Formats: sequence, C-alpha cells, structure tokens
Amino acid sequence: MKHKILTLMLVLIFVLTACGGGTPTATVPEGVAPAATTAPESGEPAVLRMWVHTNNAFIAGYEPIIAAYEADHPNVDIQLENFDYELYLQTLQTAMPAGEEADILQLFGTWTSQYYERLAPVPAEVMTIEQAKQTFYVAPIGGFIVNDVLYGMPQEFNMEYGGVLVNKTKYEAAGLTYPPQWETMEDVLADALKLVKKDESGMMTTAGFHFTSADPTWASFLAGIKQRGGDYWNADQTGFTFNTPEAKAQVQWMLDAVNAGVVDPIVFNDETNFVIDAFFQGMVGIGYIGTWAIAEGQANFPDFTDEWDYFYLPAIQGDPVFVADSGWGLTVSPNSKNQDIAWDFIKFVTTDPANATQWNIASGTIPALPAVAESAEVAAAMPWIPKALDSLPFGQYMGNMPDRDLVMYEIIYPHILNVLQGVETVDQALEAIDTEANSTFE
Amino acid sequence: MNLAVSRNRISKGGLATSKRRFVTSVTLPLLLYESIGLFVLGWAFVLMFFDYSPGRIGGAILGLGGSNPFVGLGNFIEMIKGTSVQANLFRISLKNTLIFAVVVLPLNLAITLPLAWLLESIGRRFKALYRTIYFLPVLTSSVGVALIWMTMYNPQSGWINAIIRAFGGTPVAWLSDPRAGFANVSVAMWAVILAYLWQDYGYNMVIFIAALQGIPQELREAALIDGASPWQAFLKISIPLIRPTLLFVCVMTMLSSFQVFDIIQVMTNGGPGNHTQVLILDIYKSAFRYQNMGWAAAESFVLFLIVMGVTQFQMRVMRTNWEY
Repeated sequence: MKHKILTLMLVLIFVLTACGGGTPTATVPEGVAPAATTAPESGEPAVLRMWVHTNNAFIAGYEPIIAAYEADHPNVDIQLENFDYELYLQTLQTAMPAGEEADILQLFGTWTSQYYERLAPVPAEVMTIEQAKQTFYVAPIGGFIVNDVLYGMPQEFNMEYGGVLVNKTKYEAAGLTYPPQWETMEDVLADALKLVKKDESGMMTTAGFHFTSADPTWASFLAGIKQRGGDYWNADQTGFTFNTPEAKAQVQWMLDAVNAGVVDPIVFNDETNFVIDAFFQGMVGIGYIGTWAIAEGQANFPDFTDEWDYFYLPAIQGDPVFVADSGWGLTVSPNSKNQDIAWDFIKFVTTDPANATQWNIASGTIPALPAVAESAEVAAAMPWIPKALDSLPFGQYMGNMPDRDLVMYEIIYPHILNVLQGVETVDQALEAIDTEANSTFE
Repeated sequence: MNLAVSRNRISKGGLATSKRRFVTSVTLPLLLYESIGLFVLGWAFVLMFFDYSPGRIGGAILGLGGSNPFVGLGNFIEMIKGTSVQANLFRISLKNTLIFAVVVLPLNLAITLPLAWLLESIGRRFKALYRTIYFLPVLTSSVGVALIWMTMYNPQSGWINAIIRAFGGTPVAWLSDPRAGFANVSVAMWAVILAYLWQDYGYNMVIFIAALQGIPQELREAALIDGASPWQAFLKISIPLIRPTLLFVCVMTMLSSFQVFDIIQVMTNGGPGNHTQVLILDIYKSAFRYQNMGWAAAESFVLFLIVMGVTQFQMRVMRTNWEY
C-alpha cells in the first residue's frame, strides 16, 4: 500500500511539473483577430509588461514614449523590462512555451518567421497588411508578414548594406580629398589603400577598408548578387541558389580587394578588431557597418578624438539594390489579457511621427517610416540619414528563412572569411554555402 | 494488561509516529527536488528524438509532434553522415573537444605533479606562499582569465608579440589565424589550451600536494638509504602510492576538459574557422542561439556517452586494490 501511495505521489509530481512547462493556455489561430480583451476593472490599472533587449540608447528612446502613453491613459501601467541580448533569446525561448512571456515583445523582424506561431496577429481594425505596406518601408515590414499574416510593426530600417564610418583625420593625414568623392567601388579601394598602415614586422595596424566583419560580409555578398542581376532564392523561395556566377563574381571581388591589401582579414574580422571597436580606437580608415554602430561607438569610446563621419558606398554595378533584415519592432503575446491596449500602444510608438522620430533619434536607427526618415528633425539629429534616402527605396526584404542567423553567421560569413583568409577557394566556399544553407530547409 | 507494558507500547508507538513524521518531512521535499531534476533529464532524453524548437507550438502534449515532429534516431544519423551545417559543426566540435581533452590532460599532469613534488620539498615558510600564488588563478573568474589572455595575445598590442618583435621574429595572430598551427592543431587551440592550463593547474597541484603528504615518510627514507636517487624515489615510490589520487585527478581533469566552455566562448567563440569550436559551445549555440533544442539534446547525450565511456576506461585502467 505504501509503495502504491509513493508511486502515485511521484506520478503526480511528474504530471504537475510537466503541466508547468506545457503549451500556452491560449493561442490565436492564424489570420484571426484576437478576442476582445479583458478590460481592466474600473479603478484598477491595466498592467502590461514589455520586454526589450538591453541597449541603453533603445531604452532611452522607449521611456519617454511610455511615460507619454501612460499620461494619456492613466489606467495603463507599462512596465519595461530589459535583458542582455543572449539572455533575451533564452528568455523568449523558455517563456514562450510556458506562456509566461510579457504582453509586448520587442522582436527583430526577421525572427518573426521563427516565432509567429507564438505571436498574436495584428487585428485588421488596428492595421491591415496593405496599410502596413503603405505606412512603412518595404524591407522593415517584410519580416513581420508570415504566410500573409501581419504579426508586428517595425521601428527601424535595419540597413547593414552600404554604410561606412570614415575617419576624416586619417583621410586628411593621407592627403586624400575629404569628404570622399566615390563614383565607383574602385574609388573606395583606391582611397583605402592609401589609408593602410603596417608596423615594421609587416602586421597591419590600420585597415584601409574594414569590410570583413560578419554583417558587412553577408550584406555586401547578398547585395552584390542582386546588383549583378542575380538572386539567391529559387523561383518559389523554397531553396537557395548561392552557387551562381553572380555570387562567384562578388566573392571574387572581395578576395581581390583583400589581395590588393585594403584589409588583412586575419587580424581584422568579427572576433579580432571588430569594426566598431577598431574604428573608434583609430585602427580603421573606412569601416563598413550599419548606422546602429554610431551610438554604440560613441558610448563605448567617449575619448576618441579623431574627426569622422558616415557615408554610403556606391553600388558595385547598376542600381544600389540591396537586401535588408526587418529591424527591431514590437509584437504582442497571444497570452496577453490586454491585447487591445498592447496594439494601441504599439501603434502609438511606431506610427505616430513624433514618437517614431523621438525613438529613432534616441536609438540612432534609420526610421521605418518614410515620412520620418525624410524629416528635417531626423536630418538635423542624424546627418547621415539624408545620405541614405536615395538608397532606402532600393531595399528589399531578405525573405523568410528557416533560420536566418544560422545562414548568415554560421554558413555565409565563415565560408567567405575562409576564402579571404586563404583557407578555402571561392568555388569550395560557394558549394559549401549552397549545400549547408539549403539543408536548413530540411 | 500490565501497566508498564502498556506504557512501553504507547511510548514505542509515539516514537514510531515521530520517526514516520520526520522521514516524511525530509523525504517529500527531497523527492520533489529529485523529481524536478529527473524531469529535466527525462525531458532532454525525450527531446533528442524530436526536431524540437521552442519557437514552434507543436502538438498538444508538451509541444511534441506537429511542427516539432518525431524524428526517431534521425538526429544521430545526421550527426554521423549528414551534410547539414549542424552535422558538420558537430563533427568538428567533437574532434576539437577530443583534441582539447587529450592535450590538456597530459600537459596538466606534466605541470602539476612535478610542481607539487617540488613544493613538497621546499621549506615550510615558502611552501604556503607558493601554494597560494599557484592556486590564485583557480579562484579567478574564467571570463577575467580569458580577457587577460586575450590582451596578451592581441596581434598588434599584446606583449607576447612585442617580445617576438623585439627578437626580430614575425608576430602571430594567436586567436584569429586559421592557417597557423603546430602538430596539426591550430595555434588558436594551443593559445586557448595554454590559458586554460594556467587557470586550472593550481587545483590539481593542491590535490597532489595533499596526496604526497599522505605518503609515509619511512618508505621514502628507506628507498634513499637503499641508494635510490630522489628522482627514483619519486618515480618508484611516490607515483605508485598516489595512484588513487592520480585516477581522481585524471577523471576530474578529463571531465572538466570535455565541459570547457566559458574561456573558449570569450576568447574565440569557436573561431577562427571553427578551430576551437568545442561540443559544449556547439550545444549552447544550437540550443539557445538557433533554438534547435532537439539537436542540442542529442548532442548532449553523445557527450554524456563519451564522458561516461572515458571515465569507465580510466577507472578500469588505473584502479588499485590496495591501500596504505
């Protein structure tokens, strides 16, 4: 009898534990707007939790908007919680299956295709897909649309392609014309060669053109394919086509640039002398990186005294077509009891021009709203944004991949870096990229 | 009924009840605690047969099935003969982990055992000082150790390259050159191993010192009187007598080598060209960066089997049937 009771207790404990980590208690089917939310009782504030990744500039952008929304809605209390980037990923992955995530979730748009089953669709009365496409740039909204359902609203145009930090002090010391007058990429390489410095042992101490970090590598690789008239998707977007003449030409161009001596990828890459750190320590003449790096570099290296500015590279050929991620944006948990308030708040943050402007300036990001990107206020605060305006309409969403991070950071970047470092040939790398990237669909 | 017998029975019954209450109050929390641990292990065991990602809702029971499908032994078959990036990374990680463990163990023993012997032979006043100095890196955080060594290895400003330059040599990109290597092991792996050894050797050294102190002095003295040199006494007397400690150190060092993570993640994050990608790092990335929990669980199981196998092998080879 005692054995039976003990066994029963053990089974009970297992079942209770299992239920604790089970599936969400409430989910919303695709394409269906969430049911009306539980309105807070009169006098009781509706408390909404909001999760974001830790980025002080981003948080500084959110705080006044939350305060403004709460002032307009005294019955709403939005509690901002932030997590370090890696911890945020882990928290999302453990909290979502348990249904314990916050009401409002900051999500990188391109991740949506991995999380959409656990996100609430945007109700049609809040915003339709057509309205979203008319409101935001094509690239940032693209990631929030999965299987023709809209799951969130973007805040930034994540443009990793084409933007470079340029060290004015080094330019002038090298006797180069400043601001740079680049008509072609060959002009960029010519300037870069004059900016390179090496020590007496031959080790590169200043990179002329640092394009060998992960983001610039995949961004220029994909843009190079597009600008040459190729594509990395098959016709129905069910597989990749990386082993093409256009891809080969682009990797060969990058290899030729390295062989010309504009950068040594052994000592300037993603792990060693990362472009932001190296640029703001005076070790880079031209540093290829998105605008988000500006706020980070200024915050981390306040003593950097060289003069610098941000410019955009010319296309490798033809129009400056490029692909982009959907940047950071906001989504709603299907488990939230206050979904209508959450969506109202998200609309307030992302589509109100004043709020969007305030957030983009604080975070140093390119606005997802064209009207904000073109505003005088943004131009005054971020002089590099007007330089990007001609390129932004050429931005295309990169497409929903089974695992975007895996393709970019474990497949494309390592193989291309291998080529640039001389441990793989162009053909070997492209064959491996094609095989491995297509295996992510299996 | 006799009154004394009756009292005795009541007293015994009361004691038995108290004992039962005590056992229940101690056992129940332990059972609950253990059941949580067992559930986690069981969950990992189940996951390795599924293509499970926490981002997908999946089936009704714990999210298994549906968009998190059952794949049986598919993950293990993929590890052996797959062409996917995960399979390639797993095989590279396994190879690197084995290299790391196989290199670290003998190097660690080669440093710690003679050092412990030397420390045992010096005066008492300096013994404590040196023991403290050698043990300090063990107490330092792995991340701190990694950052210190990264600074020293810096290709442009690190002092290791500064010394090489001073002697007219060619500086090396210690942590980022995939082409440089020695004995078919990349220079980045050697660099990481060196940092790891520096942090870890004090721990084994202290254990060896304790073991050497436990050897009866008469045995060594008898050997010396019989004409053995100090080196011979060390080899023929000390080493055999500390064999149980040697076994313990070998097992623990091997286990910690198979589990190396933090120092590598900070110093190289698996690079250059995956030359320092080890299994725990690969498991971590698969699970938490790429949300491939089923695959990560299968990798963890393989690591568990390897560690268990190696430990069993070491215990069979090195166990002793005697004590002194």
